[in-house]
This record gives sequence, C-alpha cells and structure tokens, in this order.
Amino acid sequence: MTQSFPSLRRAVFLASEEIAVAVEDLWFAYREGKWILHGVNLQVPAGGFWAIMGPSGAGKTTLMRILAGLLPFPRGQVFLLGHPLQGKPEPGLRRIIGYIPQQLGLVRGLTALENVLLGSLARHPGWRTALGFFPRAEIERAMELLELLDLADKAGEKVFRLSGGERQRVAIARTLMQDPQLILADEFVSDLDLPRAAQVLAFVHRLARERGLTVILNLHELQLVQEFADHVVILKEGQVVFESPALDLSWPLFREIMEGKR
Amino acid sequence: MSAKRLDVHGTLRDMEWRRWRELGFSLGLVALLAGLLNGMGFFEAGRLIQGGVNLARFAREMFPPDVRILPTIAGALVETLQMAFAGTLLGFLLSFPLGVLGSRALFPAGVVAVVRFLVAALRTVPSLLWAVLMVIVVGLGPLAGTLALAFYTVGYLAKLYAELFEAIDPEILEAMRGVGAKRRHLIRFVLWPESANVILSQLLFMLEYNVRASTVLGLVGAGGIGFYMQAYLGTMAYSRLTTVLLAVLLLVIGMDALSAWIRRRYLLQP
Ligand SMILES: Nc1ncnc2c1ncn2[C@@H]1O[C@H](COP(=O)(O)OP(=O)(O)OP(=O)(O)O)[C@@H](O)[C@H]1O
Ligand SMILES: [Mg+2]
Repeated sequence: MTQSFPSLRRAVFLASEEIAVAVEDLWFAYREGKWILHGVNLQVPAGGFWAIMGPSGAGKTTLMRILAGLLPFPRGQVFLLGHPLQGKPEPGLRRIIGYIPQQLGLVRGLTALENVLLGSLARHPGWRTALGFFPRAEIERAMELLELLDLADKAGEKVFRLSGGERQRVAIARTLMQDPQLILADEFVSDLDLPRAAQVLAFVHRLARERGLTVILNLHELQLVQEFADHVVILKEGQVVFESPALDLSWPLFREIMEGKR
Repeated sequence: MSAKRLDVHGTLRDMEWRRWRELGFSLGLVALLAGLLNGMGFFEAGRLIQGGVNLARFAREMFPPDVRILPTIAGALVETLQMAFAGTLLGFLLSFPLGVLGSRALFPAGVVAVVRFLVAALRTVPSLLWAVLMVIVVGLGPLAGTLALAFYTVGYLAKLYAELFEAIDPEILEAMRGVGAKRRHLIRFVLWPESANVILSQLLFMLEYNVRASTVLGLVGAGGIGFYMQAYLGTMAYSRLTTVLLAVLLLVIGMDALSAWIRRRYLLQP
C-alpha cells in the first residue's frame, strides 16, 4: 500500500512527544472473530489527567492492558510518549509506564517496602536483585515514597495485613518507584468508599501535576471524574462513543449515553 | 395446575426405592468382598484355627520386648532419621525447579509437557523399588535409601508445586511484568512468597511420610532400621523385633509431634 502524504504527516504528529498516548484504529479480540475493541481512537496530551468510563464489559480493562504493553494487538497503532508500541515494549519504554491493575497485583506475602522495591526492577534486572539484594539508594527511595504516602510505619508489614486503602497507597508507591511518565490505573479505587477514593485520587492528581505525569484512569463514579479528571472518554462495546472535557459531562447526559439513547 | 400438585405418594415411593437401591448396592459390595476373600482361602476353618494358634505363639514370643538390643539399634534409628531428612530435603531441592519448569504460568507448553511427563514417570515407581534400584546403582547403605526417598519425593512435590504455581493470581504476574520483572524475579518475588506456606506444609507432610517409608528401606539393604527388622524376623528373634517396632513407633509419633509443633508455630497465620 502507498502511504499518502497527509497520513505520513499524521504519523509524525502521533509520534510527537506532545501526545503522551495516541491510539489509531485499534482492534482487539481475545478469541478469533470476537472483537472486543473495534477501531478505538484516542489522543491524550502529555500532562493530561483522563478518565475512561463505560459499562461493564465495554473493554476498558482490555484497553488498559494494551496500553501497558501487556497484550499484543492485531490491528491499529499505538504510540506511547512518541514511541510506537509493537509486540513487547523494549525495557526503556517499559520503565516509564506505570500500570496499576484493578486488584493492584501486590504480592501479599511480601512487606510493603519489598513491594515498593519491586518497582525498581526495570533499573536492576540482574541476579543481585533476584537474590533479594537491592541497592541502598533504592531502599532509601522506597522508604521516602512510603513516607510520602504516610505509610512509613507500615513498611515492614506484610501486605495481607494492610487495609484496602493502605494497599492502594503501596501500589501507588510501587508505580512511583518506577519513575513513570505515564500512569495507567484500572479502576484502582473502585474498592474504596467515595471519600477514601477521593483522597487517593487527590493525592495522585497533585503528584501528577507536580511531576508533569500523564494519567489515564478507568473510573466508575461520575462524581470522581468531574472532580479530578480534565477529560473523559466513554467506551461502549469496544468503541469510543463520547469524548469531552470532564466538566461538560453532566449527570443527565451521562445517563443518556450509558442507557444508549445517544 | 393439578399436575403440578405435590405428589406425596410418588415422593415417598421414590425415597423408598432409593433406600432399597442403596441397600442392594451395599449388600453387593459385601458379597464381592466375601468372594475375593474366599478365593484367597480366608474361610477355610482349618487355616483360620491354625492362624489363631500361630498368632498366639507369635505374640507369646514377642513379649516381653528384649531391650538389651537398644544400644545396637540406636545407630540404625538415627540413620533412618538422617535418611528421611536428607532424602526429603534433596527431593525438595529438585522439586522446586521442576515445579517452576512445569508451570504454564512461566514456561512454554512444550517445556511444561516434557517436565510433567518426567515427573509422572518418577511417581509411578514405588519407594521400595527406588531403593532396590539405588542399591544397584550406588551400592548397599544409607546413600541408596536417601536417593530413593529423594526420587520418590520429587514425583509428588514437583507435581504439587507446578499446580500451586499455576494457581497464582495472574494479575500479580501481570503487574510484575508491568514493572519490568524478569522470570528470575517472578520466581523469587511471586512464586516463592505466594506459596511458601503451602510449600512448608507439604514439606512437613512429605517428611512424616518419608520417616515411615525409610524404616522399611533397610529390608532391601538401603540403610536404616529396616536392616534389623529383617534380621530379627529372619532369625525368629521376635522379642527383639518387638523392641525395634516400638522404637519405630516412638520415632514416628515424635516426628508427627514435631511437625505439628512447626505447623502451629509457623503456619497458623495465612
Ligand atoms: N482473558 C480474557 N479472555 C477472553 N475474554 C476476555 C478476557 N478478558 C476479558 N474478556 C472479555 O472481553 C470483554 C471486555 O472485558 P474488559 O475486562 O475489558 O471489560 P471492562 O470494560 O473492563 O469491564 P468491567 O467494568 O466489568 O471491568 C468482556 O466481554 C470479557 O468477557
Ligand atoms: Mg475492567
């Protein structure tokens, strides 16, 4: 196929670093012929704080896993911070993407501190860390992060003994330990009650602003979206059906979209 | 609607019918057992009576136990225990990597299939046969017994570990891949801490089993107390045999108590 001039220009645009995440006509199926994502398009500017909403089974988690470089996709293009994503991301790219799965993916039998230290593995992939020896500087950084998240006194506690909110903060600390430029979080506050969820989001929001991080979150609660996100995308049956600044999405409009009247 | 009314008579009849079927099934089983035993000569009166007489004489000769041999067998008892410990530990050291190689969460299907076949093959050989094989390979003595226990242990533990590792929450593995962890990190920081409790628990079970199993390995010359069992049985020194059996009983009870203590001490919390 010949590549026409405008599409080449478009490719250059998508690969620019102004756009933190660019998704072009993304298709995905877990099983042959059963498409979960049909032609998703997204452009998240660097420094954006975006929320993805949508009914259960819409493909939100699937989209997150693809953006995190954990699922290879058959059709379409994804650019992360200007780098094209094809197959497994190379370590350099991997390192700057922080992914927090819905159930957090913490190792319950390790302490909070050890879980946070795991965030530094991309910097130290060798056998030393595999034997459990981390550089002193990394341990100090992990402690600082735990302090920042008000968890210093829980550092030595195994994760299965921590409360839901404490685990959430451990997961955030582990992600920050990666020193990411992009954070992808899959409904990671949905197990918390609203005030606690708002607390966690406020923290992530402030941190993202301070450090200039781009954040994409899957969220269920419109209140949280309106309060924290600057932009919202609604995904339905694997397609983007709505996109606007978060404050433009009102309750009636949200209900209308979710109930399929638009 | 009348067809849907509760049919009390019918329900009762069904229940009774089921009872009769259960009864018939039980009687059938008893008849099968009787037939099998009969085929082996269990119901021949002469044999039964002779058996009772033999048992009585045997029991008379077994008591009182001859405790003068205790110093003689003490060394063999210790050797039995050493074989059980060493065999279990060696088996564990081989089982862990095989369990890792045999779990689909970490390795491609081809590797997994080969490893699982190998482990299944190990499992089909009973521990006493392993002992015979090892005596042929490394000669008489406790080394043969230890290796026999190790192979037998691998057959079980490697399978249990592979299944344990496959049951690990895929989200944790995904999160770890997300932070750029390599396979060696997954083993150290996910497989091990997520399954350490179960691993320790199964290891204790295996140790208890191996203490019992190691007492008979001496029958084929693979070391330990079994040597004296065979010797006293062969020379009809039954009062000495009694001492050996009581010593083994104490050993097994002691081992079970020790592992119960370890369980209580280390495994109560999840
Ligand atoms: N590993 C998988 N294998 C096969 N099908 C899957 C798999 N994971 C998800 N699916 C299917 O893909 C579709 C989208 O799932 P996904 O988890 O992305 O939805 P979601 O929008 O995150 O939903 P929720 O809000 O309930 O978390 C669903 O129909 C689901 O059944
Ligand atoms: Mg989901």
